[in-house]
Amino acid sequence: MSDGMYAGEPALEAYGLGMRYRRGWALRDCSFRLPAGRICGLVGPNGAGKTTLLSIAAHVLQPTHGSVSLFGEAPGSAESGRRTAFLAQEKPLFRRFTVAETLRLGRELNPGWDQRSAEDIIRAGNVPFDAKISTLSGGQRTRVAIALAFGKRPDLLLLDEPMSDLDPVVRHEIMGTLLAEAAERGTTVLMSTHVLAELENVCDYLVIVSGGGVRLAGDVDELMSVHTLVTGAKEGDGVPADLAHHTLVESRTSGRQFTALIRPEGPVTGPWETDAPNMEELLLAYLRSPDAPPLITPTAQVQGQAYGTGAVAA
Amino acid sequence: MSISTSGSTSTSTTTGSTSDGKNGTMSATMTETTTEATRRPRLSGMTWLVWRQHRAAFWTILAAAALSVAWIVYQRGQMTDFLDGYGYPAKSLDEAGNEFQQYVDAFSSVSMGLMAIPILLGVFLGAPLLSGDLETGTAKLVVAQSVSRSRWLATKLGLAALVVVVSTTALSAAFGWWWNPVKTEATVMDWTSDAAFNTTGPVPVALTLLSVFGGVAIGVVLRRTLMAMVVTFGFTVVLQLVWSYFFLSLGSSVTIHTNKGVTADNSFPSLPDNAYVIDQSYLTGSGDLVGWSTCAGAQSDAAGELCMKKADVVGWSVEYLPMSQMSGMQWFGASILFALTAGVAVFLFVWGRKRLV
Repeated sequence: MSDGMYAGEPALEAYGLGMRYRRGWALRDCSFRLPAGRICGLVGPNGAGKTTLLSIAAHVLQPTHGSVSLFGEAPGSAESGRRTAFLAQEKPLFRRFTVAETLRLGRELNPGWDQRSAEDIIRAGNVPFDAKISTLSGGQRTRVAIALAFGKRPDLLLLDEPMSDLDPVVRHEIMGTLLAEAAERGTTVLMSTHVLAELENVCDYLVIVSGGGVRLAGDVDELMSVHTLVTGAKEGDGVPADLAHHTLVESRTSGRQFTALIRPEGPVTGPWETDAPNMEELLLAYLRSPDAPPLITPTAQVQGQAYGTGAVAA
Repeated sequence: MSISTSGSTSTSTTTGSTSDGKNGTMSATMTETTTEATRRPRLSGMTWLVWRQHRAAFWTILAAAALSVAWIVYQRGQMTDFLDGYGYPAKSLDEAGNEFQQYVDAFSSVSMGLMAIPILLGVFLGAPLLSGDLETGTAKLVVAQSVSRSRWLATKLGLAALVVVVSTTALSAAFGWWWNPVKTEATVMDWTSDAAFNTTGPVPVALTLLSVFGGVAIGVVLRRTLMAMVVTFGFTVVLQLVWSYFFLSLGSSVTIHTNKGVTADNSFPSLPDNAYVIDQSYLTGSGDLVGWSTCAGAQSDAAGELCMKKADVVGWSVEYLPMSQMSGMQWFGASILFALTAGVAVFLFVWGRKRLV
């Protein structure tokens, strides 16, 4: 990843975002920045606030605290409405419309509509244009919803669990289309997902939310490079002394083997085998240990945000 | 992984020759649509979406209204044929008896139907109008497009209001036209009854509009279609009850005094035709009013006379609403209902700004 992108225009900035429902806080003091042109995975356990975060960005929800800006505009402004497309988790469509009518909806309501790319996505799945939405299978419906989001030609695509009901082949194919489109047009994508393995080949940016806050945010390569996976023989309980001055994200012992994901604060010394983690190991480590110190790399920080804390100066 | 941000405008090469055939059919369809467009005006943008989404309901309402208007026109033809043959208005209908009764019955059944319109449209058009989108999530789909949610709300309310106004205006005008030749016959319909007052002039339009907008607001707050329909049914029924209780006080009553006593045959003041008597009482010499049953308990005429004299009754005081006020009362009441409707619309826009979706 070229360093030049770091200075890029932010596509999305969240400032101290908080969302309170009747049963409690879904999102609390959530701040991060997503530079334009990136494909960002939004990862977190169920109920972590991913959908809430995407809904606030899509102007479907009003945050209780804080604010979001999309390309410098508030959600709901005409400008950000035109530049943003949102695919909600339940992929709502008008059940009595045909596929062609659903695409016409996109054409009628979006000035920059791209009928051709929307039709191509539908055709690739052999979905008949005159079929009613209610007669389609879940996967076909998802395809139509994705075509509707793509045809808008957005600069920022917000996808909430877009692939959850697609089979692996279709998932792969749609992902390929998504990447090709995004690459061609420089679209920023913010996509929540549970399928960690998939992120590795798709995302170049990551945001982990857990317990309503941001645990990890930044460029994938950068995040990888600041983490080290250490393995060695287990010696007694607790964290070994020679790892104590590093930031420990997660440690586990299986049998006689000790494994830990650390953020090294200097050279790792001792009888340890060190390795670069893959993305899945990194994500799992953070997801399993919600108390790990959060890390927000400089490109993912909004103005006034202190390094690695996730707090914002009010 | 690297993302190219070069502004490549070349068309995608993945859609090669395989899709060409389909594109051919596609462009053929497009031409077809264009020729169709020249033949009739084509809806576009948000108007198209809202009309497409609710076209079944809109067409049903318009078609039902058109059929009802046709039925009313037919009924009026039947009635005027009878009246012409009978010699009305030169000959009073009092002697027509049972022959005319079937035409009177036609009025009561149609007016019953017209009075149900605010309830029907409130429940089946107003309540599901937005609650359906909120329940199924299609509201999220619409606001994710490039058009503002206020536009969406305005188009929904505007088209629904248009359909309501067109259909109820047509029905109200047709019904009023049917009633007009026999308007002065209290035996057909009393102008102060809700069968006449709520089905003619601007009243059915205003009542229906408020019922529908009220239903929309209930749907937006409850966000569940079925529950919204049930609550809207209650709302529209209560609205009709309150309105029926209240509409006669829209007029400014006229009071007439007499001073020719109360016992003589022609002592009762002559009121305009079809005047609605609100209250009648005896007027005393000092200008006070006493109940007209004051001396009803007298055993004989002489005793009654004495009783009247004792009470110093000099004449009648009658408070009434002349029929000439009907139109004014209808417009006054309708303007109150229209103002309430506008209030509901303002609430919907304020609520929609924050909570819609």
